[in-house]
Amino acid sequence: MPERNVCIIAGGMSKWGVREASIIDMAQEAAKECFDDIPALKRKDIDGLLFASSYCGRRSFQVNIAPVVAERIGIKPTSMCTRVDTLCAGGSSGIILATGLIKSGIADVVMIAGGEKLYTPQRWETYYSELASIDHDWDGAQGMGLPPPYFSMTAQEHMKRYGTTKEQLWAVSVKNRRNGSTNPKGHFQKAVTIEEVMASRVIVPPLSLYDCCPITDGCAAVILTYAEKARELTDRPLVYIRGSAQAALHSMSINWPGEHLADWLHMRTAAKRAYEMGRVGPEDIDVAMTHDCFTISEIVEMEELGFCKKGEGGPFVESGQSDFGGKVPVNTDGGLLSCGHPFGATGIRQAREILQQLQGRAIRQVEGAEIGLTHNLSGLNVEHTILIYGREP
Amino acid sequence: MPVPGIPILEGKYPSTMDLYPLEAKEFNRVHQFYENLRQKRFTTTKCKKCGHVPFPPRVVCPECNSEDLEWVDLPTRGKVLRFTEEVAGVPLGFDSPLIHALIDLGDGRKFVSRIINCKEGELKEGDEVQLAVFDVPPMIIEKKGVMTEAERVFFAFEPSKAEVK
Ligand SMILES: [Zn+2]
Repeated sequence: MPERNVCIIAGGMSKWGVREASIIDMAQEAAKECFDDIPALKRKDIDGLLFASSYCGRRSFQVNIAPVVAERIGIKPTSMCTRVDTLCAGGSSGIILATGLIKSGIADVVMIAGGEKLYTPQRWETYYSELASIDHDWDGAQGMGLPPPYFSMTAQEHMKRYGTTKEQLWAVSVKNRRNGSTNPKGHFQKAVTIEEVMASRVIVPPLSLYDCCPITDGCAAVILTYAEKARELTDRPLVYIRGSAQAALHSMSINWPGEHLADWLHMRTAAKRAYEMGRVGPEDIDVAMTHDCFTISEIVEMEELGFCKKGEGGPFVESGQSDFGGKVPVNTDGGLLSCGHPFGATGIRQAREILQQLQGRAIRQVEGAEIGLTHNLSGLNVEHTILIYGREP
Repeated sequence: MPVPGIPILEGKYPSTMDLYPLEAKEFNRVHQFYENLRQKRFTTTKCKKCGHVPFPPRVVCPECNSEDLEWVDLPTRGKVLRFTEEVAGVPLGFDSPLIHALIDLGDGRKFVSRIINCKEGELKEGDEVQLAVFDVPPMIIEKKGVMTEAERVFFAFEPSKAEVK
């Protein structure tokens, strides 16, 4: 069998936010929108399901959730049916794994779904559970599970070393909240002004409320198949998975791989490999969805992806280079700052937006976008995952 | 306000909700780290075959695959490079302010640790901090139907009280 090219052909999301719904309810909502997105595809055409969720075991008391989701949404996988956990990058891991399964012929049509029900009936459990998201016996027991303190040190490092300003951090928030204001599926639909951001309450200096993504419930789903099958199912332009990489160089904070906290060697490592596999460079990316868990994250990511020089992420975002009309529009659907971040669903949400961008049907369309990129960081910055999508294989 | 909770779990020890490691030797092959902590020693394993000194401690050398390891001491003092103070939104089990610092241990390692015995606004970059060991609640181990309590300690760093001369 000749090697197959793999395409993403449909995407859907549940409503994201503080939801009066279970993870299984939201998985059904996401799958419904995904099926509605490609009417020629029937449930029986799906032979594989990968479900990305990190917290279903702890917050929904459900491990091996994939067969539960398959049954509830009405599919009967015969090639693969399993859960994937890479915390914040679980959805992207699912897409990379499904690409390999389809390329090799192990699977033909795979749904990658994922998400989290993060809000528990009592709020203490919502926050306390975060302590499980990092190296438990070492960093977790030091009380480091909630990310704002750690990323505040990253922000301090970047500000002291490169002169990055709070105004530059806030520019990310204003842009992404504006992009998200027209996305009905995200957590927030409200743009914010720089004055509102400036006046918001401090979370951990120098990070304020609008510098941090919220805690969010939600699910998302996409479908992947090989190009010939995709052509049978849709008249829309095909969107190919061109390259990917996932780099994990450490787990515990003491083994941080960079020179300092604003030096993300593992991200550069992943970017280099993904660009090589995708046969593109940073200058070729028309639209990017990067992991803006905090405003400072998006600034560092612009640098490590090669969109600007190291240390120039602040001026890059402040001057509109990551906005519409700039060098590369970033987080066109609102990103994590506006959509929220139900961990396993985030990479899938990003893929859905890139699919719509490259097919010319996004809510906020980047004109003529042909090559897109998605990026996630996991946990306290221990893993980086990058995917490259394109209109050509 | 107290709530009924889950009645069948009353008086039970749900280890999956335990913030601290299951340190007892019945559950943990690096329990010696915690025994050493009790003696105010901050230690890790060194490979006797290739000399590699990883942290956290291991049961197998990740460089050469040897199981012939010995316990060695790490510095118990370090210098604060960056720090962060979380005042609101501190998770259950920790007091406000919850302070964390990136500490240069001086042996090539930069350790991110909690800083205790320190008030908000007191810590500065460049300050010296020292290892602090404290008791944490015991873990419960069931042995033939009998519940035993395994005492535990854990560690953080605190502002140095006196310079070492
Ligand atoms: Zn060795």
